[in-house]
Amino acid sequence: MPGADKEADLTERIEAFLADLKRGGCGTGPIRGSGETARETTALLRKVTAQARWSSAGDLMEIIRKEGRRMTAAQPSETTVGNMVLRVLKIIREEYARSRGSSEETDQQESLHKLQHFVHLKANVIEAINELLTELDGTTDNIAMQALEHIHSNEVIMTVGRSRTVEAFLKDAARKRKFHVIVAECAPFCQGHEMATNLSKASIETTVIADAAIFAVMSRVNKVIIGTQTVLANGGLRAVNGTHTVALAARHHSTPLIVCAPMFKLSPQFPNEEDTFHKFVSPHEVLPFTEGEILSKVNVHCPVFDYVPPELITLFISNIGGNAPSYIYRLMSELYHPEDHDL
Amino acid sequence: MQQPSKMNEEELVEYFRTQMRTDPDMASAVAAIRTLLEFLRRDKGETILGLRESLKWATDCLTEVDSSVAVSSGGELFLRFISLTSLEHQDLSRCKKVMEERGELFLEKISLSRTKVAKLCHTFIKDGAKILTHSSSRVVLRVLEKAAAEKKRFTVYVTESQPDTAGKQMADALRRINVPVTVVLDAAVGYVLEKVDLVIVGAEGVVESGGIINKIGTYQMAVCSKAHNKPFYVVAESFKFVRLYPLNQQDVPDRFKYKADTLRTVSDLSDEHPMIDYTPPSLITLLFTDLGVLTPSAVSDELIKLYL
Repeated sequence: MPGADKEADLTERIEAFLADLKRGGCGTGPIRGSGETARETTALLRKVTAQARWSSAGDLMEIIRKEGRRMTAAQPSETTVGNMVLRVLKIIREEYARSRGSSEETDQQESLHKLQHFVHLKANVIEAINELLTELDGTTDNIAMQALEHIHSNEVIMTVGRSRTVEAFLKDAARKRKFHVIVAECAPFCQGHEMATNLSKASIETTVIADAAIFAVMSRVNKVIIGTQTVLANGGLRAVNGTHTVALAARHHSTPLIVCAPMFKLSPQFPNEEDTFHKFVSPHEVLPFTEGEILSKVNVHCPVFDYVPPELITLFISNIGGNAPSYIYRLMSELYHPEDHDL
Repeated sequence: MQQPSKMNEEELVEYFRTQMRTDPDMASAVAAIRTLLEFLRRDKGETILGLRESLKWATDCLTEVDSSVAVSSGGELFLRFISLTSLEHQDLSRCKKVMEERGELFLEKISLSRTKVAKLCHTFIKDGAKILTHSSSRVVLRVLEKAAAEKKRFTVYVTESQPDTAGKQMADALRRINVPVTVVLDAAVGYVLEKVDLVIVGAEGVVESGGIINKIGTYQMAVCSKAHNKPFYVVAESFKFVRLYPLNQQDVPDRFKYKADTLRTVSDLSDEHPMIDYTPPSLITLLFTDLGVLTPSAVSDELIKLYL
């Protein structure tokens, strides 16, 4: 029966995605970038909308929430998954409100469960999710397009570790401007090395420095441009470890700190939850297992992320333009609905 | 059947005082709104405009009894909320019925607001945390009760908060729920801050800039927290949002600064000590309200939505 096959196919894809999430995001850098994770999540949610059995908007939202909870439980530190689920829930609410032609909040709550305009709703939601996917495809290019406004000739730019967004940003500016980039290697994963190799292939003058030299070199830097894993609801960042150091050094020298982050990284979480916030990986990178004697006497930790408070950030560059950290609350209210914040 | 007569000033004040006595845990603004609802029910006005005028007059009477910011803002929000429906009915009594229903809906919403705030805020209290708070705030007490109910272990430092030593009441209430608490002098805030992990205070009013108006001594605590880099959290219900924009301490109107009795009896206010101060938004980390967790810059947006 074709119906049963499609359902089995869907569950199989979801299971494969969950397994991938559980495995991925290990210390040596994510197996997939957050952009691909966002795209996969959205594509899966589109499939769920198309194939699952639902009769009202409320049912659909419940199904999406259930799948969303499973996906976020698989890898809590990968916040883009949760963000995409929230975007889709907002899309459903908007399409529903549009089809009913009303914007009365209190009515919407009860009536979401009523059977109304079913066929049109499904088509509209799927179309809106397709638009979301197109937006996701274009985020890196949109951010890179703004590079020329921010980078000028003969500037010294500092960055930390490896970010695909920042790489595209710098490469785009390099087409027309000549500038110098200093990359902090970002131990223990040393992704800075890969970043430096990629940048020099695009004929950008690059220097790699050790993390300990960040403060020393900062006085010669004009701008700091970094990527991040997540943008939190108060405007702070959850970024790769070492970013807080760079931010503090930049604040000390009054150097502007620019964060290149696409909108799908914006998460409604606040920096308080102990369990989901920190992620630790094998301390082998810090102190190799070959140092057997010491291991029993010493506690070794290898955290993956850092928290950067919003006071240290100057500007966020996203696919919808540049914004101040104090404006993040507004962007959040446009992307997500407050009722959905706790999946 | 005899209709209850319209409330005059004495009955209004008496009803308000009774509400405060019967439930000491209720916020004064909630008691004021209950009084206004009762006033609305008994009012004998012939026009909608007359009704609004008399409600405004009633709010003014209540602010003369209790000069806190929350009573004034609560009354104004109540008036706006009940008139925010289509009052196109021909019959005045039908309009009044709609307004009364809206009033009861409003009252129901705000009675739940403290619970919502507690639900949002208790996750920010980590196990083993040391908390500093100022004077006595029932919202902060509810937050700490919720955190204790979630089996979190924490200790609390409360300032005794002169001139009315309200901090001691807070300490007693906390001891009753078995939370280890220490009362400190107001002057000891700087001394104690190095031991403390976070500061949580209530607010009597939240102003448009995102700052707060609260018991005198709050501003001092906020400045010290900033110097020590400790997070300064404010918990407040949404009916405390008030349409004021003070730029400094002098800008706060005198009618909020002093107790209602003082304003009536004393002629020269420069000798009197103000009961409240203004804390600017730059010193506040986050505000927890029933509208959600807000950064100070988000407050003005929410305020506009409330008052629109």
